[in-house]
Amino acid sequence: MIEVQEVRKQFGAVQALGGVSFTARDGQITALLGPNGAGKTTLLRTLVGLLRRDHGSIAIDGIDPEKDPLAVRRNIGLLTDQFGLYERLSTREYLSYFGELNGMAGPALRQRIGEVASLLQMDDILERRTKGFSQGQRIKVALARTLLHRPRHLLLDEPSRGLDVMSTRALRHALAALRADGCCVIMATHVMQEVTHLCDDVIVIAKGHTVAQGSPEELCRRTGIANLEDAFVSLVGTEEGIAA
Amino acid sequence: MKPKFLVVFLKELRETLRDKRTLGLLLLFTVMYPALIGYVVQQTINRATKSEREDLTIAVIGASQAPTLMAQLKQRNIKVEDPGTLDEAGITGLLQARKFPVVLRLTDKFTENYAAMRPARVELWYDSADEKGARRHDVEDVLEAYGANVASARLLAHGVSPATLAPIQVQRFDTGTNASRSAGLIGSLLGVLFVPVFICGMSSAIDSTAGERERRSLEVLMAQPAHAWELVVGKWLTSASLALGGVMFEMLLAHAILSWLPLEEIGMSWSLTLADLALVVFVTVPLCLFAAGLQVALAMNARSFKEAQSTLSFVMLLPLLPGIVIPMMELKTASWMYMVPVLSNQTLLREMTKGGELGVLPYAMTFACSALAALVAVGFATWRMKSERYVLSV
Repeated sequence: MIEVQEVRKQFGAVQALGGVSFTARDGQITALLGPNGAGKTTLLRTLVGLLRRDHGSIAIDGIDPEKDPLAVRRNIGLLTDQFGLYERLSTREYLSYFGELNGMAGPALRQRIGEVASLLQMDDILERRTKGFSQGQRIKVALARTLLHRPRHLLLDEPSRGLDVMSTRALRHALAALRADGCCVIMATHVMQEVTHLCDDVIVIAKGHTVAQGSPEELCRRTGIANLEDAFVSLVGTEEGIAA
Repeated sequence: MKPKFLVVFLKELRETLRDKRTLGLLLLFTVMYPALIGYVVQQTINRATKSEREDLTIAVIGASQAPTLMAQLKQRNIKVEDPGTLDEAGITGLLQARKFPVVLRLTDKFTENYAAMRPARVELWYDSADEKGARRHDVEDVLEAYGANVASARLLAHGVSPATLAPIQVQRFDTGTNASRSAGLIGSLLGVLFVPVFICGMSSAIDSTAGERERRSLEVLMAQPAHAWELVVGKWLTSASLALGGVMFEMLLAHAILSWLPLEEIGMSWSLTLADLALVVFVTVPLCLFAAGLQVALAMNARSFKEAQSTLSFVMLLPLLPGIVIPMMELKTASWMYMVPVLSNQTLLREMTKGGELGVLPYAMTFACSALAALVAVGFATWRMKSERYVLSV
């Protein structure tokens, strides 16, 4: 469970977050919608305790990431907009590295790597060095790293970009399985179809403010627009979407 | 559970050792300096021993006028060739062609003047741009000895003791030992042995900070449940261990080369044992840590590999500077020298090659000054990685 109350963050004269509040519940996939520059990256960084907020409160399973960032991070899988692979390491070595950083070791780690690899259908690239991987293979490796330490919370920034149809389905199944396990998943995305298919809850942020939160149906109902994409545009305000 | 910094260390080390270009460079630098020293010393030895082994051939114009002189030259293993009559340009050409290091010309009136006991002129032609100056001295010695012999004979013929020509007698005593004499040359050569400390760990320091930042993997790493200091220390130790490995290998190589070269031929010796060498490497450990710390602290602030590389190659000259400039100033060894990283290591190694007891203090100071600087650098790097501004720019 991730609870965010009135979080604000200012960089010099720039107000990156002007008041973000939402609750992402366990056992749900929450979509984070917002135009580019809405403050999604800043929000994710604040959630893992890399940035300090100026105002408001954050509780991740009751823990404040500012007070105990390590405890929070142990329980979070973060997929950023960059994959951050190491070209001279094989996929297995890459996963072992992050597993060990998360306190895993030995046979348990090996076994978990195998599990994650079959979940994401990536056994074929496990022993290969990541240099020259396709976009789809890269994102799979990064996703595997995100899931490796069985975090209860997942923060995913556009997890499905660059994936082919098979892999997208695999990802969807993986996310559904995590939801069934009771994980709390926050997923930033621009693909409305994904939101309607997969997400139970939607947070819309624009200009660093939460504009709306609710299920896709609720948002459509509130705006009186049947199509989620049009509803999103109307919530954000058309002009800002284009300007950003 | 493995400590986190060890996890980072092992991963960085593995990644660096897989980079063939970096390894090649590492090998090049560790082999280059000992080889360079060996070459310079070998050349010195060759130059010093050559004149004895090889016989010298000079050209003498008008040789038939002074048969005794020619005989004495022959006794000293100097061969004589007669190139025939030559003018100035001809002699210059002969010297420039490096056919003969020295050309003697006996003037036409040599016999006449000699017989009349007037100074008979012998012209000694040489090219000072030619490096075989020592051979000229051989010829001059013979000429001088010949002149002195003739003078003594003439004095005797007049009933005067030749000893009147030597009012004083100089006897020389040299208290310098082989080891202390070598300290000058070898000491200045040994200075370069510490250069690889600043080179071997550099690419790993850059790759694991600026490189990781450029490839955008640093943000992911910083979002892991590990303290900033654990990440910094892991990367720092990787660079430091590469620097240490390079320096160890290089010292051993230099030791092998200097032990093998016939240093006695030029009145020098290499007196350090392997135990001494181990001690030198031991007090160099903090220097490696300092170099690596400085590199990590600087490189992590660069946005790209390239930027870090240009910053570092410039900044890495600074710690080396005192080690280059101060030996040039030919200052006497003083205790403050042991408080400057690099310079302290060089001074220590030079004093050790001189032989004699140093006491514990120089070792301790050499060790401590670099260790302190290393801690400051790593402290700064950790503080920097924790700062919000840094997070924003990764």
